[in-house]
Amino acid sequence: MALMIPCPHCGRRPYGEFWASGELPEGGHGVEADVEADYRRVWLRRNVAGDQRERWFHHAGCRRWLTLTRNTITNAIHDVV
Amino acid sequence: MTSFDFEGRAIPFEPGDSIATALYRARVRIFSRSFKYHRPRGMYCGTGDCPNCMMTVDGEAATRTCVTPAEPGQRVRRSTGWPSADFDFLAGLWWLRALLPVGFYYKSMIKPAGFFATVEPSIRRLAGLGDVDTAAPPTDRERRYHHPDLCVIGAGVAGLGAALAAAAAGQTVVICDEGAIGEKLPSGPVRDRATSLAVSVRSAAGITVLERGTAFGVYEGPLVPVVAADALHLVMPRRVVVATGAMDVHGAFAGNDLPGVWLGRGAALMASRGLRPAEVAVVAIDREEGLEHLAMLEAAGVKIAAVAAPAALAGRIRGGARVFAGGRIAAVGGLKRVRSAVIEVGGSRHRIACDGVVVAVGLEPRSNLARQAAAASVEVAVVGDAGRPGLSLAEAEADGRAAGSGGATTTARPDLPESPAAGFVCLCEDITVPDLDLAWHEGFQSTELLKRYSTVSMGPCQGGLCHRHLQGFVRARAPEEISSGPTTARPPARPVRLEDVAAGARYPLEYRTALHDRHLAIGGTMEWAGAWKRVERYGNVPDEYRAVRERVSVMDVSTLGKYLVAGPDATAFLEGLYPCRVADLRSHRSRYTLLLNEAGYVFDDGLVGSLGDGRYYLTFTSGGADVVESWLRDWADTWGHDVYLANQTYTLGAINLCGPKAREVLSGLAGGAVDAKAIPYGGLASVSVAGIDCLVMRVGFVGELSFELHHPRSHSVALWDALLEAGRPFGIAPHGLEALRLLRLEKAHIIVGQDTDFDSTPHKLGLDWAVKMDKPHFVGRTALERMAAIRPNRMLRGLRFPEAPADGAQLVASGQRVGYLTSSRFSPSLNLGVALGWIYDDGAGIPETVEAVDGSGRVLRGTVTHGPFYDPQGARLRA
Repeated sequence: MALMIPCPHCGRRPYGEFWASGELPEGGHGVEADVEADYRRVWLRRNVAGDQRERWFHHAGCRRWLTLTRNTITNAIHDVV
Repeated sequence: MTSFDFEGRAIPFEPGDSIATALYRARVRIFSRSFKYHRPRGMYCGTGDCPNCMMTVDGEAATRTCVTPAEPGQRVRRSTGWPSADFDFLAGLWWLRALLPVGFYYKSMIKPAGFFATVEPSIRRLAGLGDVDTAAPPTDRERRYHHPDLCVIGAGVAGLGAALAAAAAGQTVVICDEGAIGEKLPSGPVRDRATSLAVSVRSAAGITVLERGTAFGVYEGPLVPVVAADALHLVMPRRVVVATGAMDVHGAFAGNDLPGVWLGRGAALMASRGLRPAEVAVVAIDREEGLEHLAMLEAAGVKIAAVAAPAALAGRIRGGARVFAGGRIAAVGGLKRVRSAVIEVGGSRHRIACDGVVVAVGLEPRSNLARQAAAASVEVAVVGDAGRPGLSLAEAEADGRAAGSGGATTTARPDLPESPAAGFVCLCEDITVPDLDLAWHEGFQSTELLKRYSTVSMGPCQGGLCHRHLQGFVRARAPEEISSGPTTARPPARPVRLEDVAAGARYPLEYRTALHDRHLAIGGTMEWAGAWKRVERYGNVPDEYRAVRERVSVMDVSTLGKYLVAGPDATAFLEGLYPCRVADLRSHRSRYTLLLNEAGYVFDDGLVGSLGDGRYYLTFTSGGADVVESWLRDWADTWGHDVYLANQTYTLGAINLCGPKAREVLSGLAGGAVDAKAIPYGGLASVSVAGIDCLVMRVGFVGELSFELHHPRSHSVALWDALLEAGRPFGIAPHGLEALRLLRLEKAHIIVGQDTDFDSTPHKLGLDWAVKMDKPHFVGRTALERMAAIRPNRMLRGLRFPEAPADGAQLVASGQRVGYLTSSRFSPSLNLGVALGWIYDDGAGIPETVEAVDGSGRVLRGTVTHGPFYDPQGARLRA
């Protein structure tokens, strides 16, 4: 596989330069005070077939985190920030 | 004249010869013996699409000789057949085929138990395509990357047209072909056109041509790996055009595998090189192109005995051949080569004596790459014969040009062939029609099941010849698409060496500290620690240990993760991140901290030191530095904190100077005070040591007075030498990881990753003191709060034994297994075995005594403890 990720800092780079941290939890990522909400955010995944917001770390490049939308069926990537 | 060696014979060859054509000219007819039945096989496709001409070339088994150019001095041999491929006693297996039905190894040799294991080596010797030379030295294959706009697979007229059209539109192109351009085409207008297009392609700016470059897959991305002589080319284009062409359909009739049976384009290719594929041939054709083949065969001197052709073409056949309008080849007779062919027409059968049969009935697209792309959800344009078999020359080029300039393409799947009637369906795996019949009756009633059970289509040609016959077979018996659909195509589409797949994957990258050579010079044995090389021991571990406990020692700890954190929000950031308190950390003091993930589990540990003015120096365990950086940046991003992170892991060195005499050694070199008042336990200070600016941290991992000296990496050697020199009167000796493991174990300090696992919370590790639950938030706090209500099912505890059980020993109490040891060593200072281990608690509480069983035959009785074994008050540490 050779997914190419358009890094806003480094250009279009092969996915092997990145670490994936999986789908962005519902309501985003961050410290959550409510125990129930925190449990859902940490452990439950929607695992959608289609567009999914994800975080990727460009470890072999700019060493920045990217938030992007990846279609889990086609691997098409867009809206990278 | 140039020649190569073939089983001891010198075979001369001419320019442009492949190994196979040179052998054919030298009257070699049996090119291999088949996979299972040892049937004789000769040249068949001539274009690299079948397994028949595979030989061992220069030690490399299963080389397709028809697409491998002949070169002087090559050593070629057939690796199948015993004693030789020409006279193979194992050919008798064909007559025993009733005893070797499809899947016979699932059905026989089951009893007595172990019988199969006994006979398996013999079976493996009988079957197969040759031996791999395991003694051959590994090669150092390179990998190259290409990022063109377009990748074209196949350089026929359609592929060349696509490349030129894209280049004309200003796009960059990589075009690859398994052979040299035009090499697989018989002489004629198609080859002339390909040759003239090739001239433009080679001179076009922006087109890279990879001749003799075999694309063996289309992966997501897209990625097209191309194996060429110089390197493995990884082509990552924006668009892919598949122009792999088509070949003649493999004819399914009795005797279809005999030497002398040819696919039409292969026979024409031989004829156009001046070689006669037969002296007397029977030919079956179904299209205009067949007439060209006939003319070419006659020009080469082949006598055409009979032609089977549709009525529309039959009238146009000239010469003395018997013409059977509407006829088809029903069978071929012969034992080791073709002796006759049977043509069936209108219910009557005619046997015709011949020594060759040429079949040009139907075109089969080389669809493997296109089907792979579909399976991987990669959009590709399939052009020319590969998309719509039977296009004219002009149509094929126009099709390619349209795709090259980004236009839409249409593909047409030719109708499925009828269910194969007789003969070999799969030449690679020796699967006959009766084999498929048997498998069908045994219940394997779909293409995918038949494939897995009989291995049909799983050989070197990956179903190129047979996958649609397989579909036709199923369609005739079960018309539903779900049963008779095409099998999933997967890489590799062409045989590829593992060596090529691994091209460019070098030995692992090795990080070395600045002191690496110093360690080697004094006899250090190195071991891996993540990507780093660290000293396991210098020789005498007990002395290394005593140096720390009784005298003074140094250790290279440059591998620690080291970070500088600054910025207006640095304190708030670390306070939110760490389970320990950070805001109340006084300037030039440090604290031990755990790193928790959001689920409350420990994934690393380290120190946080305040440099004053809201600047912090963080250390982490060796090897975790890169992961920690991503973690720090992730949270800094998430919270939008204004912080600056500098990863100094690779720019700073660190040496731990430790032992009761450490301060005496340091004070001799230090440019400032290093007494307990100036740098107390847990303190840090900027001190010049031997003229080198150091950040000195009082730490306690080994349990003695310790100074960690962090310094610019460029000065590591000078500092190390100065410390050893200054320590010589005190008996200084450096220590390695093995001594360190014992030293820290005596203090019951955990090593994250060795004593912890994915389920280790601070509470289970006995590290509640390191977590301040009264803080309003930190990463993992909510999870810990939730888990506080759950009774822990196991705890990490210290254990004392009379001797040291082995690491990993199992713990038993009252006849039940109650846990296992994660670390265990014998402590010379305490004269007992000290260990850390997980002990389960099923509700009855943690037992006070356990027995350790480690496979050595000993059963050691131990007591469960809390806290450090050595210097429990920490008096030595705080000295």
